[in-house]
Amino acid sequence: MTISIDPITTSVIQHRLTGIVEEMGEAMLRTSYSQILNSSRDFSMALCGADGGLLAQAEHIPVHVGAMTWAAKEVIEYFEGNIFPGDVFLLNDPYFGGSHLPDVTVIVPVFVDGNCLFWTLNRAHHSDIGGATHGAYNAAATEIWQEGLRIPPIKLYVKGVRRDDLHRMLSVNVRHPRDFEGDLAAQTGSAKLGEKRLGELIAESGVETVSAAMARILDAAEAQARAVIKTWTDGVYYGTALLDDDGRGNEDIAIRTTVTIDGDSIEVDLSDSDPQVESFINSSFANTQSAVVMTYAFLLDPGIAQNAGTIRPLTVKAKEGTVVWAKPGAPVTLCTSHCSQEIIEAIVDAIAPACPERAMAGWGKRFRIAIKGEDPRNGAPFIWHMFHARPGAGASSGGDGWHGSGEWHSAGGLKFGSVEVAEARFPLFFERHEYRPGSGGDGQYGGGAGCELLLRLETASDCKVNTAGEGVRHAAAGRQGGRDGAPHDYRVRAPGGDIRVLKTKEEGVDVQAGTVFEVLSGGGGGWGDPAQRTVKARAVDEREGLPPYLGKA
Amino acid sequence: MYRIGVDIGGTFTDLVVVEDAGAVHFGKIASTPEDQSIGVMAGLDMMAGRLLMPLVAMLGQTERIVHGMTVATNALLERKGARLGLLTTEGHRDVLEMREGLKPERYNLRLPRHPALAPRALRFGVRERMRDTGSVETSLDMDSLDTAIEALRGEKVEAIAVCYLHAYANPAHEQQTRDRLAELLPDVYVSLSSDVLPQIKEYERVSTTAVNAYVGPALERYLARLQNRLKETGYSGPALITLSHGGVAPISEAIRLAAGTVLSGPAGGLAGARHASGVLDVGDLIPFDMGGTSTDISLIVDGETTLSSDRVVAGERIALSSLDIVTLGAGGGSIASVDTGGLLNVGPHSAGASPGPACYGNGGVEPTVTDANVALGFLNPDGFSGGGSALDTKAANTALDVLAGKLGVERITAAEGVFRVVNTQMAEGVRLATVRRGVDPRRFALFGFGGAAGLHVTSLARMLDIKRAIIPRMASVLSAWGMLTTDLRYEMSRTKIGEIGEMRPEELQMLFGGLEGDVKGALSAWFEGDIRTSRTADMRYGEQIFEIDVDLNHIDFADEGAGQAAKQAFEARHEELYTYSLPDREPVLVNARVAAIGELSAPPAEPLVARGPDLKARGVRKIYLGAWMDAPVFAFSELPAGQLITGPALIEADTTTVLLRAADTALVTDTGWLDIAISD
Repeated sequence: MTISIDPITTSVIQHRLTGIVEEMGEAMLRTSYSQILNSSRDFSMALCGADGGLLAQAEHIPVHVGAMTWAAKEVIEYFEGNIFPGDVFLLNDPYFGGSHLPDVTVIVPVFVDGNCLFWTLNRAHHSDIGGATHGAYNAAATEIWQEGLRIPPIKLYVKGVRRDDLHRMLSVNVRHPRDFEGDLAAQTGSAKLGEKRLGELIAESGVETVSAAMARILDAAEAQARAVIKTWTDGVYYGTALLDDDGRGNEDIAIRTTVTIDGDSIEVDLSDSDPQVESFINSSFANTQSAVVMTYAFLLDPGIAQNAGTIRPLTVKAKEGTVVWAKPGAPVTLCTSHCSQEIIEAIVDAIAPACPERAMAGWGKRFRIAIKGEDPRNGAPFIWHMFHARPGAGASSGGDGWHGSGEWHSAGGLKFGSVEVAEARFPLFFERHEYRPGSGGDGQYGGGAGCELLLRLETASDCKVNTAGEGVRHAAAGRQGGRDGAPHDYRVRAPGGDIRVLKTKEEGVDVQAGTVFEVLSGGGGGWGDPAQRTVKARAVDEREGLPPYLGKA
Repeated sequence: MYRIGVDIGGTFTDLVVVEDAGAVHFGKIASTPEDQSIGVMAGLDMMAGRLLMPLVAMLGQTERIVHGMTVATNALLERKGARLGLLTTEGHRDVLEMREGLKPERYNLRLPRHPALAPRALRFGVRERMRDTGSVETSLDMDSLDTAIEALRGEKVEAIAVCYLHAYANPAHEQQTRDRLAELLPDVYVSLSSDVLPQIKEYERVSTTAVNAYVGPALERYLARLQNRLKETGYSGPALITLSHGGVAPISEAIRLAAGTVLSGPAGGLAGARHASGVLDVGDLIPFDMGGTSTDISLIVDGETTLSSDRVVAGERIALSSLDIVTLGAGGGSIASVDTGGLLNVGPHSAGASPGPACYGNGGVEPTVTDANVALGFLNPDGFSGGGSALDTKAANTALDVLAGKLGVERITAAEGVFRVVNTQMAEGVRLATVRRGVDPRRFALFGFGGAAGLHVTSLARMLDIKRAIIPRMASVLSAWGMLTTDLRYEMSRTKIGEIGEMRPEELQMLFGGLEGDVKGALSAWFEGDIRTSRTADMRYGEQIFEIDVDLNHIDFADEGAGQAAKQAFEARHEELYTYSLPDREPVLVNARVAAIGELSAPPAEPLVARGPDLKARGVRKIYLGAWMDAPVFAFSELPAGQLITGPALIEADTTTVLLRAADTALVTDTGWLDIAISD
């Protein structure tokens, strides 16, 4: 099947493939209906080859970038010899190609002349996936079964016919079955659209041409990646990043990397990381590999396509039983945020001397709050997930970090909803929501500011609060002489004036009606020596009322 | 009497004069960016010359001038708008800059920060607070307001945007603020969010209001100059401005809603395409407007355009309803390059108007789409762009040779590659636009206009499996012509959240009836004729965030079942767009919208082009379409009606060239347009 292919046909087919994944994303955006999907866009689309290797991916959530390939590979392995046109596969299990349980992946085989040559994939974060607490983020979980429903690779449609019994079994195991079913239908529709479009492309251009072009697209991406890596200084580098704690009293959980740059290749070895812990900050190996690929994508030039060719120069190593490769059964829900972000930081920490201009400072960390209660206006129960009060972005050689642009693993890709809509729909009152002065790390380029949120709970009865996050002890790290950003500081002030500090990993905290959440989110890290910051830039900081973080008061 | 359409673009100002008898005259003249009104007057003078009369005489016999311009667009794109201050609710000073937490270019972590239109030092919180119900939580604190106003005075701002939380539900505090500003800073341009976009979602409202105030002063200055120049020249008729929603409004209204002029030019083109759809009796068209730096794509379904409110221009959100147009960053000036992986890319960088493509001979050295078109033989090397200036073929070839060297192919292969890649990009753009609207492009006809479309439509049609392409005679000035086909339009919206199926007819009557009274009142201030109204609503399912725009014109709000009928209309539309609806769920009404439309007399029908013996080709050119071949070249403006031209062929006008590929057949219509059947 080797035919020669010219660079122009290759370029044309690359545009077609990009068009297909974008179209899948557009269809998903427009047809999903849970808030987390259609407003926060927490989903990704991919096309993979027969072996599961990534061919094209739409730009959605960075932490999904290297992850989809593992899902395709699990399906291929488990269902070998049992894959037919019209089949639709599903999985979410982190130990079988998933990332964490709320991320459900739909996988559709694309057949050409009786052979399965491609896969279309759609991964989306569902608002609930069962388990002990709503929304899957269960700080109390000690094993994955408490986090939600595990779905290893299953066949949801057999030759075009849905297995209704299986579908119902999934639905009854989640708290919002209608959202789940609607979003799953949107995912399936979007993956099937990709299948159809890919089929049209093959019918037009011929399978040999498309396959040859895809091979060349991967080679081209590889060449681009290698050209960048070649500019990095050869050597063996070591880096470390620390998580605050595991929520069980154990502090400073370390991710350790050994990064070897050798010519145009790079190896990332995470084997020296701390042993796995009891709580949900563990990562599955699939998620760890995605975190490494995401970091790699951040360090390369943004214009380089993300596919299986791009990652050929990259080798990832880790050891089972560590926090970055937990043994099956361990809880992992927080891992797409943390320890993913610490994996990024440990790699950047190591590699900074090899490519200082590319090594960006740390971005703020995720610290979720979910509030569950009853709306006194209509007596209906509600659950509200906080996406507001985003932390600051890290600074870089490109300039100051973006204020309030969120966390490293989403890199400005997650939207927070309207304050007005939140007030209209939930018994919440936003007294204040603006940038937090003195939160961005100092540096030649300053870290982005975090945010301040004062949120009053206007319920008539008490509420339950869950938290899930990091970054109250170890803030976003400065780089190249830049200082760390401010850490998070979240408190609740009861109507009587009692103040309680919210920890990052709490489950079922009781809060009284009328409580005010006082949320100060962390700033991004600074980049470069603060002494190099220009007088003009300092004057602007002053005028804007956003001076840098100067350490704990 | 004459009607005159004027559309100012980045490079050219286009003019169209329509006579009572229907004859259409058109021309182009260089734009004058420092003061666009100079170019307009020079253009009017040129057209008067063509009609063999002095300018004063032509304007004396002109009943209407309709105008689209890029003053607001340029102020935004070039960041040359007003020094802008922003007043928000205390504690919410950064809502504009937060951009809902989103940052563009996901994998570019070294991207510099996007500066807000109003920098933080010019944003002030004012103590006040409304509830979503419209009740006052905290009254407007005048001391706090005065302190902010004094600070803005000290900062010498030229414009102020005011956006308080929930002002859509109760605008009292914003109105009190405006009154105070009028007292203390009477010379400053002020925009209130409750006036510009009175609907829920504070980021969209604040961003739109900020854009409005940012571009308002520049637009006001320009329109005042233009009005004076027209007056001095003896014109006393109405000057109407084309707005982004495709309707027109008098100058005072355009100044009030300056952000609504940002898509003025493209809206004219789409209005022209819609008019053409009626004239041609072709309901489903894909208007395809390819210019120098970008390409605008939209859809006309069953003769109707659609409005959308999710526009972003120059990184700024403008949530006013505007015609649904997808803009791609590829055009004739897009630069082709080879990446380090050896693959060919076209765009996103453009040679712009200066230096322009290498073949313009103005010092451009990078190969562009236009240079490739020259090398492929599609463009006449002796004359182009109306000015008739010759093309520098050598410069185009030199630029392409560098590209070809990097690709390891012959020059002509590289040129063909650029042509194919840019066509693929545009075809993907059309696909995306159609999937977004839930329609299949194959049943549509491509309607090509703008200087560069003619060379690309036939190739694009093939890629999309589209069988028909239409090129109007005035392809290069369609926006200016289209502006003469639109009606006066004034829109208002009001947020009212609730389950539509449960709403009582009286409730709906009050909501829509109130809006109808308001829009009619506003429009009747400028218009004496009959006014009709159009009712739509933004609705969604409870959990969704995106609302969809649902036509409610067929529903009788006096009827007991009005709420249920509206629910069904939503479901039908939802199904059309997204393939499903959920009849057991209650749709939620978010915004009610009413437009008042004052119908202007339609332009007279175009005169028929004489039939006659077939026009002979004025020459033959060698063109490359996979192989070198001879293509006869025809003069577009001289073609008789009924002539059938079979490709390969080139049909040239002053400012545009149409390429027919092998076996395509172009029929010259009765009005001298090209109706092209694409061969398989």
